[in-house]
Amino acid sequence: MIEFRVNGEVHALDADPARPLLEVLRDELGLRSVREGCGIGVCGTCTILVDGRAISSCLTLAGLAEGMDILTVEGLSEEGALHPVQQAYLDHAAFQCAYCTPGFILATVALLQEAPSPDEATVRAHLAGNLCRCGSYRNILEAVRAAASG
Amino acid sequence: MLDADARVRGAVRYAVDLELPDMLVAKVLRCSIAHGRIIRLDASEAETMPGVVAVLTAADFDQPGGPSLMYGANIPDQPVVARDRVKYVGEPVAVVAAQDSTSAEAALGAINVEYEEDAAVYGPLEAMTAAAPVLHADHPDNRFVHGKLRHGDVQAGFDAADEVIEETFTSPLAQQASLEPHTAVAQWTDGMLNVWTGAQAPYTVRGVLAEIFGIPPEGVRIIVPNLGGGYGGKGHVRIEPLVAAVAWKATGRPVRLTLSRAEEFVTVTKHAAVITIKTGVKRDGTLTARQVTLYWGAGAYADASPGLIRASVPRSVGPYRIPAVRVDAYGIYTNLPPAAAYRGAMSSQCTWAYESHTDTLARRLGMDPLEFRRQNVLRSGEQYCTGETMHDVHFIECLEAAAEGLGWTQPLKRGSGPARHGRGMAVMLKSTIARSKSECRLVLDADGTLTLYTSTVEMGQGAHTALAQIAAEAVALPLAHVHVVGPDTAITPYDATTSASRSTNMMGTAVLDAAGRLKDRLRQIAAPILEVEAEALSVERGEIFDDSEPESRMSYGEALERSGLDSIEVTGMHATQGGLDPETGQGVATPHWHQGAGACEVEVDIETGKVRVLRFHAASFAGRVVNPSLARLQNDGNVIFGMGPALLEEMVFDQGQLLNPNLSDYMLPSLSDAPEEMGSRLLESSAGEFHGIGEMTLPPVAPAIANAVFDAVGVRIRELPITAERVLRALKGGAGG
Repeated sequence: MIEFRVNGEVHALDADPARPLLEVLRDELGLRSVREGCGIGVCGTCTILVDGRAISSCLTLAGLAEGMDILTVEGLSEEGALHPVQQAYLDHAAFQCAYCTPGFILATVALLQEAPSPDEATVRAHLAGNLCRCGSYRNILEAVRAAASG
Repeated sequence: MLDADARVRGAVRYAVDLELPDMLVAKVLRCSIAHGRIIRLDASEAETMPGVVAVLTAADFDQPGGPSLMYGANIPDQPVVARDRVKYVGEPVAVVAAQDSTSAEAALGAINVEYEEDAAVYGPLEAMTAAAPVLHADHPDNRFVHGKLRHGDVQAGFDAADEVIEETFTSPLAQQASLEPHTAVAQWTDGMLNVWTGAQAPYTVRGVLAEIFGIPPEGVRIIVPNLGGGYGGKGHVRIEPLVAAVAWKATGRPVRLTLSRAEEFVTVTKHAAVITIKTGVKRDGTLTARQVTLYWGAGAYADASPGLIRASVPRSVGPYRIPAVRVDAYGIYTNLPPAAAYRGAMSSQCTWAYESHTDTLARRLGMDPLEFRRQNVLRSGEQYCTGETMHDVHFIECLEAAAEGLGWTQPLKRGSGPARHGRGMAVMLKSTIARSKSECRLVLDADGTLTLYTSTVEMGQGAHTALAQIAAEAVALPLAHVHVVGPDTAITPYDATTSASRSTNMMGTAVLDAAGRLKDRLRQIAAPILEVEAEALSVERGEIFDDSEPESRMSYGEALERSGLDSIEVTGMHATQGGLDPETGQGVATPHWHQGAGACEVEVDIETGKVRVLRFHAASFAGRVVNPSLARLQNDGNVIFGMGPALLEEMVFDQGQLLNPNLSDYMLPSLSDAPEEMGSRLLESSAGEFHGIGEMTLPPVAPAIANAVFDAVGVRIRELPITAERVLRALKGGAGG
């Protein structure tokens, strides 16, 4: 039995603690915003927040999240209203196929918690672990800048 | 984008998200050697393992009433799973369908295969030699296609030149690398095959599956959800035969196959290319002749290569005025995974060669690269080497827009210490598919809702949004009233493919055709009610009215209701006729030319060889921009994507074994690679036709960077990618252009 909080709700799951957290969130809890890209923690697609820190859920064993507070994009909006970072990504069309978008948004949320007004070099360094193959980087930088100043 | 809200909520559903009741998981056993014979394949133990429902091997094929083993839309040279011979590391040998992935993996481990290895060949040039092992007996020289172009007297042109310069450029295998892996789900119901797949060409998939299973095309239904990226890698037919065949054995239960990243690497690649280009030029900059010889490494099976390699012929010459041209393009089998379309298909490799070469020519003559191009670039009304007259071409405007964005005429700070700066540019021409067809259906309901049924695939390019905008404007309804449905071959009409940047042009024109018919129908039903001739009626802003009598008007909904109609349904179609003579390459290569250019400033560290792109300005010809925000994303996306194969991306093999089958050892461009300054220009023309913009600014990226490296440090890199090691080696060797 693994117990953790996901998007504000406590879940007690009868899941193998050695399974990747990614699979447990997708398959057991149906959180489809958590997506696999590379499977080895280098593309950032499966990024989630665990106790506020951005981590790769493909590399994290489910058992290690015991007692922790997990946030996915499904839990980001409040009463249906978009989180300011989601709104900034929407306003700046900072996506194309959008497969990588949940990971980028959560990595941005984590960055802005740590550094509310980051300079561009900090943004680039922080988000370099998230890949967008469609190449929407200019719009992503614009979105992060807007979210930071908004 | 229409569903932007869902995109930032993570609510868009892709093929990987499909869940069906009772669904099985498929896993593929892949061959471990590059070339050889299967001397024993025993799956009997795997079949009895817990959780295993079906094990598919070649023994299941070519039985009465069963599927055929061999397939291929162009040349049927590929088995669904290998029978007696294997031809590349990673080739599917067996497929297991089981209750869960653990059971499926365990079953793969229980399948015993013994191989007897043969000599293998990996490079296209080596594969054409007499000593090379033969992959397919009917092609003893491993050459399966030879595309030709013959235009004018090339030798006379070389004789008349003051300089004849020949260079060879290479480009390695690379990955399309969509972040969403290939996924397909197949289920057989009452002899009907249903497939949900992340595919760019649903009707091609339908046709190939119908042939494999010997059923009519209508017996196969292909449904395509949103794609998490395609870039050509999900074009043609990919994993669908594997999953459809194992589902056929799993009698009725749905089966899902999702590839791992390592499997992605052996499923489809960019073509390796060796391109020799030879040009005659006069001292005043006039071009006299060009000869291009292209050797395309296509991997072990023909796949989409025959069409792509023929298409590479007119794409390989460049948008220049050259009176005599000869092109020979060879498609060559090698013991590597099959190659297929890759964003900027074939043009990326071709432009790498002819635009690096153009820079060499300009430098040799001591001319400014922009001036040299300005002198030679083709204009509307001039003849291309295919014999066709160029129309609506704006190559020079694209170049000038990119150059202006960069500040080409401004003084350049050359840098100090080890950091040297340089500038480069490149332009490209690309044909789209010469002969193809797009159909659509528009349904207007009495409540004013307009539904567009289309088989155009939404893969992030925003095609559904652009098509909805085109429909809304043409039918004169608010965008919010338009819905897009598809692709689903059971309900959305035929479309050739979502590739070659053809959708906005081809499907967009089909939508205009349908919209015209819809307005005609509205006029016809409103005429008796308004008591006017149908021809006298205008259809605008959601209303049908008589210009001469302003009170005589009604909404579309009212016209339908008063005519007793729930809805009006019309179809639209756009088809192009063209094609080149296979022996001479003369004819019509494309209904319209794709045009793009790029100009950049780079910094080269002469101590490490590291190249950094500081600024990149790109321009493409859009004809008519439908959605400026999405269009800029296409230009930008092409530049970022293009920086991968330009600077980073190369699949590295040792004896046919891929050494970097993951996104750690095979690097994709990240935000830390993105230029500090990016510019995008989209040119329009008064003619107002939709032009494709999905690839135009990609092929110029690598040559623009290489030309800037030459400008910075005086070395000419002719092998991709332009790695620090290659630049440093060239600097140490003192190799100059």
